[in-house]
Amino acid sequence: MTPFLQITGIAKQYGPVMAVKDVNLTVDHGEFMTFLGPSGSGKSTTLYILAGFEQPTRGDILLNGKTILDTPSHKRNIGMVFQRYTLFPHLSVGENIAFPLKVRGWSKAAITERVRQMLSLVRLEGFEDRKPVAMSGGQQQRVALARALAYDPPVLLMDEPLSALDKKLREEIQHEIRRIHQQTEVTILYVTHDQEEALRLSDRIAVFSKGVIDQIGTGQQLYNDPSTRFVAEFIGDSNFIDTDVVSVNGRFARLALANGAVIDGVPTHGTDFRQGRASLLLRPERIDLRLGKSEGVLPGAVREITFLGNHVQVSVDTQLAAPVDVRLPFGHAALGGLAPGLDVSLDFKIAETHAFQLEDRVPAS
Amino acid sequence: MAMVSLAKPDNEKRNARRRPVLSRDFVSILPALLLVLVFFVAPVLALLSRSVTEPVFGLQNYIALLGSSTYLKIFFNTFFVSVLVTVISLVIGFPVAWTLAIMPQRWAMVVFAIVLLSMWTNLLARTYAWMVLLQRTGVINKTLMGMGVIDQPLTMVNNLIGVTIGMTYIMLPFIVIPLYGVIRKIDPAILQAAALCGATRFQSLRLVLLPLAAPGMIAGALMVFVMSLGYFVTPSLLGGTANMMLAELIAQFVQSLVNWGMGGAAALVLLVVTLSLYALQLRLFGLAGGERT
Repeated sequence: MTPFLQITGIAKQYGPVMAVKDVNLTVDHGEFMTFLGPSGSGKSTTLYILAGFEQPTRGDILLNGKTILDTPSHKRNIGMVFQRYTLFPHLSVGENIAFPLKVRGWSKAAITERVRQMLSLVRLEGFEDRKPVAMSGGQQQRVALARALAYDPPVLLMDEPLSALDKKLREEIQHEIRRIHQQTEVTILYVTHDQEEALRLSDRIAVFSKGVIDQIGTGQQLYNDPSTRFVAEFIGDSNFIDTDVVSVNGRFARLALANGAVIDGVPTHGTDFRQGRASLLLRPERIDLRLGKSEGVLPGAVREITFLGNHVQVSVDTQLAAPVDVRLPFGHAALGGLAPGLDVSLDFKIAETHAFQLEDRVPAS
Repeated sequence: MAMVSLAKPDNEKRNARRRPVLSRDFVSILPALLLVLVFFVAPVLALLSRSVTEPVFGLQNYIALLGSSTYLKIFFNTFFVSVLVTVISLVIGFPVAWTLAIMPQRWAMVVFAIVLLSMWTNLLARTYAWMVLLQRTGVINKTLMGMGVIDQPLTMVNNLIGVTIGMTYIMLPFIVIPLYGVIRKIDPAILQAAALCGATRFQSLRLVLLPLAAPGMIAGALMVFVMSLGYFVTPSLLGGTANMMLAELIAQFVQSLVNWGMGGAAALVLLVVTLSLYALQLRLFGLAGGERT
């Protein structure tokens, strides 16, 4: 079966800069796929190529097996919600939603009916005659969503549509987007740099870094099994500890920590370690903390305790280069007697750690 | 309630503080106001008053002016040329402003510098330059004849063509500048949104770009129209006697015929038309002109 949407070997060069190097991706019909990455990672450029605002230097995009690259934007029949507010300021909410239908030559009656449907989809009944300037940012983006979905596009592109909104409103509209996605079953490609937003919304997430996709997977896969240090850093919180590689056995490594401890069986994803060094990932919430000195892997002393509502962050000085952050859930047994300067020991399950190449310290061109 | 009663004295205090400042400002601009009054307002009023006092008290000048087909033809011609220049300026000015708005800022500044430089060049010099270009033995005619496009030189001066070309050239910046301001404020993402909605380029232009640029277009058009109504130098140098404009008529009344009464009457007609149009512009767009409402 031909995949619904297939992006193969897309690259985009601006002068000497490769904004997108080699992006490959297959999206299923009805899937909510998020492009997650920092600014400049190529996620927005890839979306703009899909929209037809940019032509790729190389590669192809196939929708139902047919290339869309030779179709101009206005004939691609793709919906898009932009980062900035792009409602037509001179038109009312109803006229904005009617715009794509009007240029498609729909009858007046059909347009009226469709506008009513879309307003009810985004729960803005009664706003039909409002001008965009008289609406809040969140409402404007909902109208933009209604406008982009009015003509039943096979694919909806969303380019950081909530980045201009405050946190509370953002979460509210994330729920709306999720609901609308389930209701319409439209395929959504969503760009964001906010990992929480990506985890909340997506079926799958493609993590972009320096013009390529580092890893594609569900939020859980990315969190539990990050394939690169970058993905580990971007999804969830992380401690990275520089270690020496003692030996590598298949997809597992034996690592020596700076304090002399040696741990065996660290998952490596088959990484080829340069210069015998590796970066060990410890998730702060997967580390256990016990009071007093013990034979635990990482003895240390409490440096700082930060109360963060539903959890407490404890920074522990060990014999390693940097302090290790530990996240203890509210009500954890050790919390009662914890104070700065106290001796503690840290423990973790080796199966939940990962070894990556040391970070490239040379900035990418 | 508590907030209201708290806020009130504060407001009064602020007003009390501002009032003396205002009157001090007034005192400081008084010399300038007097200057305008004595050397500008008074002479204009004196001229206009002569339209109802010369040769005798009454409306005879207006009756003569509005009752004569010769003069009515000049009124009509003034309007016709002004409308023509306004429309052509809009048609040329819109793409120019659009190009300026989308070209890289650095290049736009260069083009603007050229436009402004030409605006600061003496009006007479620019008009004579057009005479040289447009005359029967001018560069344009010679080139066209050399290329074999025409056998006979085109008559492009001392007629409507000359006036229209010369005035459009001079008026163009007054359309381009407000229009550029308005178009630059339009987010390019709005046009991208229109394209993804399925609008062709022409539909985007007609349904999105033109409506959004309309305030700038109307502001510029009114400005050009009003300026064209009273224009003197270009019509008198590049135009012919067959298409005389109102300002030329006034000059003729005053200079050749020494008929201050008729001159004043024609000037008042021009002033009334101009001020009405200006009032219309204020009503539609407020003082800021090009600002979007």
